[in-house]
Amino acid sequence: MKSVADIAAAVREGRVTAADVAHDTGVRLAAADAAGLNATLHWSPQLLEQEATRVAAGTSDGLLAGVPVAIKDNIVTEEQPTTCGSRILEGYRSPYNATVVERLRSAGAMIAGKTNLDEFAMGSSTEHSAYGRVRHPLDAERVPGGSSGGSAALVAAGVVPAALGSETGGSVRQPASFCGIVGLKPGYGRVSRSGLVAFGSSLDCVSVFGATVADAASLLHVISGPDPYDATTVDAPPVAIPEHRDHLEGVVIGLPRECFPDDLDAGVRAACDRTVARLRSLGAEVRDVSLPHSRYAVATYYVINPAEASANLARYDGVRYGQRRGDGVDLPTLYRATRGEGFGAEVQRRIITGTYVLSAGYYDAYYTRAQQARNRIAGDFDRLFREEGVSYLFTPTTPTVAFKAGEKTEDPVAMYLADIFVCAVSLAGLPALSIPIGRSEGLPVGGHFIGPALDETGLLQAAAVVEQAVDGDAEVRP
Amino acid sequence: MTWETVIGLEVHIQLATRSKMFCGCSTAFGDPPNTNVCPVCLGLPGALPAPNGEAVRLGASAALALECTVHERSVFARKNYFYPDLPKGYQISQFDEPLATGGVVRFASPDRGPLAVSITRLHLEEDAGKSLHDRIPGKTAVDFNRSGVPLAEIVSGPDLRSPGEARVYLNALKQLLMYTGASDCSMEQGSLRVDANLSVRRVGDDRLGTKTEVKNMNSFANVERALTFERERQIALVEGGGQVDHTTLLFDAATGTARPMRSKEESHDYRYFPEPDLSPLVLTSDWIETRRAELPELPEAKRDRLMSAFGLSPYDASVLTSDAVLAEYFEAVIAAGAAPKTSANWVMGEVMSRYNQDGRFIVTARRLAQLIAMVEDGVVSHQAAKRVFHELEEAGAGADPAAVADRLGLLQVGDSDALGGWVDEVLAAFPDEVGRYRQGETKLIGFFVGQVMKRSAGKADPKKVQPVLREKLGG
Amino acid sequence: MTIRREEMLRVAALAELGVAEEDAERLARDIAAIVEYVSLLEGLPVEEGVRPFVPGPAQVRLREDVVAPIPLAHPPADMAPEFVGGLYVVPRLGAMEGE
Repeated sequence: MKSVADIAAAVREGRVTAADVAHDTGVRLAAADAAGLNATLHWSPQLLEQEATRVAAGTSDGLLAGVPVAIKDNIVTEEQPTTCGSRILEGYRSPYNATVVERLRSAGAMIAGKTNLDEFAMGSSTEHSAYGRVRHPLDAERVPGGSSGGSAALVAAGVVPAALGSETGGSVRQPASFCGIVGLKPGYGRVSRSGLVAFGSSLDCVSVFGATVADAASLLHVISGPDPYDATTVDAPPVAIPEHRDHLEGVVIGLPRECFPDDLDAGVRAACDRTVARLRSLGAEVRDVSLPHSRYAVATYYVINPAEASANLARYDGVRYGQRRGDGVDLPTLYRATRGEGFGAEVQRRIITGTYVLSAGYYDAYYTRAQQARNRIAGDFDRLFREEGVSYLFTPTTPTVAFKAGEKTEDPVAMYLADIFVCAVSLAGLPALSIPIGRSEGLPVGGHFIGPALDETGLLQAAAVVEQAVDGDAEVRP
Repeated sequence: MTWETVIGLEVHIQLATRSKMFCGCSTAFGDPPNTNVCPVCLGLPGALPAPNGEAVRLGASAALALECTVHERSVFARKNYFYPDLPKGYQISQFDEPLATGGVVRFASPDRGPLAVSITRLHLEEDAGKSLHDRIPGKTAVDFNRSGVPLAEIVSGPDLRSPGEARVYLNALKQLLMYTGASDCSMEQGSLRVDANLSVRRVGDDRLGTKTEVKNMNSFANVERALTFERERQIALVEGGGQVDHTTLLFDAATGTARPMRSKEESHDYRYFPEPDLSPLVLTSDWIETRRAELPELPEAKRDRLMSAFGLSPYDASVLTSDAVLAEYFEAVIAAGAAPKTSANWVMGEVMSRYNQDGRFIVTARRLAQLIAMVEDGVVSHQAAKRVFHELEEAGAGADPAAVADRLGLLQVGDSDALGGWVDEVLAAFPDEVGRYRQGETKLIGFFVGQVMKRSAGKADPKKVQPVLREKLGG
Repeated sequence: MTIRREEMLRVAALAELGVAEEDAERLARDIAAIVEYVSLLEGLPVEEGVRPFVPGPAQVRLREDVVAPIPLAHPPADMAPEFVGGLYVVPRLGAMEGE
């Protein structure tokens, strides 16, 4: 599998045609489906051909000319259905494209297909899809992480060079870590959410997967920048692609001690230790720092996110689109049957939790407190970046490597804690990425770099330096 | 009268924008159902609100006209409830940080004279779609053309003390809002809606009674009827030893009664929280002051000025300032040279009755001033001038009234030769009456004038007919 | 704090979510576990006047008042479960309207 840059260069220079790339992509997608990865929800050779025809007809000088990009199925597309991995949207076709889809296409990319996910992006394992769980490409018994598990698995399996996922609380960085690829969450508001099906609106970010930092950077460059259709996009130019660099002189890396607890998985710790040693040898100054409120991050997240989700998912009522159940009696019956039968267990948990924390009598105890906690969590990061001179933070992306399917499905809180290192960043709206930093017992370990607001380019540049210096495929031993 | 009525009103106005509050769909009234819709106002997956700056401007202007404090920071919030015409399952509104608070509406109460009713708040929100219950048997049909239309909700304090006072308050509020151009305030088109809260208490009691909410009133007259009904109902209930329940009632104009909605449907827990799709609405003090400076002269000031500048009576000044456009027209007629009192009579008569039909002026102010001058100069009679006025609609608002009067043969004849001819004909035709006049029955002069007017087909100038008649009858 | 089945069902009704009889017990247990976990926040003092954190722009960007809707690639009728004569159709709402 060639990189994004290689494919685009070959197509631009006429060495291969978009049709060739589309054909080969179709062959790989079919093979992945046949192997039981269950990473795709919708793709077809015809639509791929159509994409290639469109690229050939356009000025194929785009940065992503002829590059096949898989799209998480909570990002709306006109040609393919958009189900969000839910029964309630079975057969739904959006009458408009997400802004990110339009931007990818303008840059010459081909939409390879729509990928499987936890229903409405709610989950950390891609086991909560109405269309079956996604397998880890290296071990079918394990989960690829989630909720963007389908996109992560396709990139990790070499089916596509890059893919779009979405993050609300780690849903790209965590599966990137589990699958051994690069997963990048931009700062909140850097990429338009128009056409990203809302889950936790103050947290949601369209995010990217690539085999390498450079691939992820190309995609982010193309999709970022303000959008009139999303009033929360920040008024800043698209994220620039970083210049090549080979050292980290002058860079201060903070290691938040809260993210290296005593019970951290030994393999994960060993990979992190090796990476920290490499950061020092590359010239970075490495410091112990503290994020004192990060212990509240998961609790804060699981108040704000369900609260927003409970409102965001109210629109699936069987009136205007999607599946309708319980028709013919009265409206309450229709609502309750449509939503009760259409939503899976995890979605129901979030809706009920969110409705509960917002309801009269509980609002201040939960929602008001969580909003204040969020302020403090964001303040911790702000202090490090603005007052203490820290350039970037480094942590493990996840406390463990990919876990086994079924291991946490019976215990929602245990599942939520899989996101403990990533969700504080989501609450603070900062950019962060996960890159492979080694393997433990054959499974990838991800290293997590966090940057200050609007410094995606610097963050990508630093991560690219580390990527060159750390062998992400090498087994590490405690 | 041992009972006191306490009323507060919540008025929703549609802000006069071209596009909706959070999307680029048209706000046009009367288009085929579900044609002014897009992903945003249909609540499709992935669609996000993009707020309309003009709606904010109009809302701020309305708030300033109501003497509210417009806040430099306000926050949109989600109000959550399920209803088939509410596409997202929540309405984007404002809750604990509204656009504006603390205003006042001044008017003359029919019961209590000059009154200042407090405005608690004005906030921005989006409208829902429209549920139609009579289109398909056994079903409810929904049209989302109205979904997302920008509204301002204006909440008064519980300061009104009678249904009649409530009605006058509404007139005063509507007048102010129309002056600012924030809304066209048409109840027929749903761009002004009123919900009322009413409670009763014994005179002298400080505590408020339990209030009920009354909805579904489609005119100011019906607001008064509904509140009168509800006041009597509550008094009868309490006097009979009963208690008022906190309920919502729907007014039925056909029967003049209001009946409660099912209590289950009103036990709402709206679960308001800040709208995460929209950062706070931040307005600078400069921006707010610019809006204040842009406000037109408001009704009270205009009324006072017309009285002092043109010597109009309070009644005439009130009528002429009932509508800013009408007042502007009136002042233009005077500017074109017509006398204030005559202009006022014309504008309050012919002009206004026509304007009230369709909001149009069929004669330009300059042409009306010309027409008034023609009457003053005796070129046409007052009656003929009214005909010319209406003929000008056919001829076009800018047509020359003199030319129209000429074409219709309405120019008055003051020429004594022509008058003499008609007078001679009349005297010859009525020898008996001439005899009686000459015997001293001088009141017959009126009869002769009438006959001359008739014979001249109205063209004779009546003021000039009499001297000619007297001369010939006396000779 | 623990949440009983009845409380969970009351909240589910507020969210218009039909909960199957056989799922109610498990769902109530799950919600109780989540709520218990997030009660960790009770360790944080609530301060008056602390505003919610706003990610993204500090102030909302306003749009010009121009009629320019996002075009629909296919009409509402194609997406709707029931659509008659240009209108979306649901079971009659008489009860809700008080009619």
